[in-house]
Amino acid sequence: MADKPRLKLPKQAKKGEVIQIKTLVQHPMETGLRKDPNGNLIPRKIINKFTCVFNGKPVFSADLEPAIAANPYLEFTAKVDESGTFKFTWVDDDGTITSTEESITVS
Amino acid sequence: MPRASIPVAVLTAVVAALMLPPLVSAQAPVQGGGPAPLATGDASARPWKRYSGWPTRDTAHFNTLADQTLSPPAPTQPRKLDGPITGDPAIGAKLVADRTRGGSCLACHIMGQAGNADLPGNVGPDLSEIGNAGLKDEELFNFVYDARVYHAESIMPPWGTNGLFSDAEIGHIVAFLKTLTKPAVFQTEVDDPNKRPAPVETRDNLDELVNPGLWTVEKAQQLWTSNGPSGSSCASCHGRAEERFKNWAAGMPKWEPRLDKVLGVEEFVYRHAKATTGSSWLMQSSENTAMSVYLRFIADGEQIHIDVTSPGAKEAYERGKALAGVKVGQLNFSCLDCHSPERGGLHWIRGQWLGEQRGQYDHFPTWRTSQQDIWDIRKRFQWCNVAVWANELPPDAKQYGDLELYLAEVNAGLKLNVPGIRH
Repeated sequence: MADKPRLKLPKQAKKGEVIQIKTLVQHPMETGLRKDPNGNLIPRKIINKFTCVFNGKPVFSADLEPAIAANPYLEFTAKVDESGTFKFTWVDDDGTITSTEESITVS
Repeated sequence: MPRASIPVAVLTAVVAALMLPPLVSAQAPVQGGGPAPLATGDASARPWKRYSGWPTRDTAHFNTLADQTLSPPAPTQPRKLDGPITGDPAIGAKLVADRTRGGSCLACHIMGQAGNADLPGNVGPDLSEIGNAGLKDEELFNFVYDARVYHAESIMPPWGTNGLFSDAEIGHIVAFLKTLTKPAVFQTEVDDPNKRPAPVETRDNLDELVNPGLWTVEKAQQLWTSNGPSGSSCASCHGRAEERFKNWAAGMPKWEPRLDKVLGVEEFVYRHAKATTGSSWLMQSSENTAMSVYLRFIADGEQIHIDVTSPGAKEAYERGKALAGVKVGQLNFSCLDCHSPERGGLHWIRGQWLGEQRGQYDHFPTWRTSQQDIWDIRKRFQWCNVAVWANELPPDAKQYGDLELYLAEVNAGLKLNVPGIRH
């Protein structure tokens, strides 16, 4: 994965509030079904798993399949009851893990 | 990081020593002083090789924007046929719907149930009842063979003269045309090009979670402050781009008298970087595209306002305007054939909308979701050429410069909105 993942979520929220989290990671998501100009199959290479954990507790996760388009954009909601840190993780077919964190203050 | 201050004498010596001398005499490029140093020579790879993944047909025997002596000439007289047309309408029905044959006919014409009336275009008239029009076989044949014998400025590709269909195939098509006597019945409303709503781009192209094209801005910002082979960076002379060049790109492209051609942003970036920092950011390299996006991005919201009146610029504009009307390729189309509302503009070819020229420049370079890549205006010109089965020119061709100057003027007053996002 070339670039840093991009996130959009509020920096602050009220206790019990449901916040929206938008995530995007740069990845070709090669399905394994395309052919190159010489007719050879381009091998599959996708992100196959995404997880979001808050203060160590799972919030949202997804198993991605080749049907997901390049640069997967995942948007979901989370209910926050305390301040803490979201940790986002993307796992590539080849085992590479990309992760990033973002904190939120809940009052 | 503190801005390095490079003694003028050192910079001058380095620039002079590096390569072909820059056009301005060895005068250090200081802020606000004198025309920008520009490297001479080619600004893109030579020999020019078509992009991988693009159609590989070589249409060297048909006109390009650089050479209009290549295509076979239009016949002066319609052809006389030996006898009545003998053709198989079933084969004709397949040929008119065949997307690999340059359209074919369904790209521009509704033709009854041909191709299951699946997304025909409407650049040309509806031919669903042409069998009732009272046209002779010979007239139908000649219309398809080369419509220029009846209308010199026809948009119809010269299917026969340019070797797109054989005489036998045209015979099959004419036989099929004679069976068309009832209006088309569309499966869904969007199949009717006259009812299909024009596409509108609603995505927020300046949201980095929507437009991957924006990610290249960060890359450009890093390049701006990275030292090239000469030991200096863009920042060394220009400081912060956001301040220094906040409306520069809105004044491009520009006539460059020292090189006797129009320079767009991409070509300027190559020539200026080469002559100053020594970086070789050839056109269509990822660095060049990043800088080209960046220099416009920081001028987003500025109205396009270019010079088409001073000497050199005026002539280039006139040449560009003429080039927009030059027919190229085996399919024999000019820019205006597709993009002027008086011809094909604001109509459909198959399922593709043909936009008009005003509105086609302000969002370049654009991210293209179907290509997963950023295209600048020169790559877009190159694709337009290849799409009408003409050989493309290298991105720094002077004809593309003239054309870009004309197109930018048609877009004068529109605000830069880069990077765009499109299919």
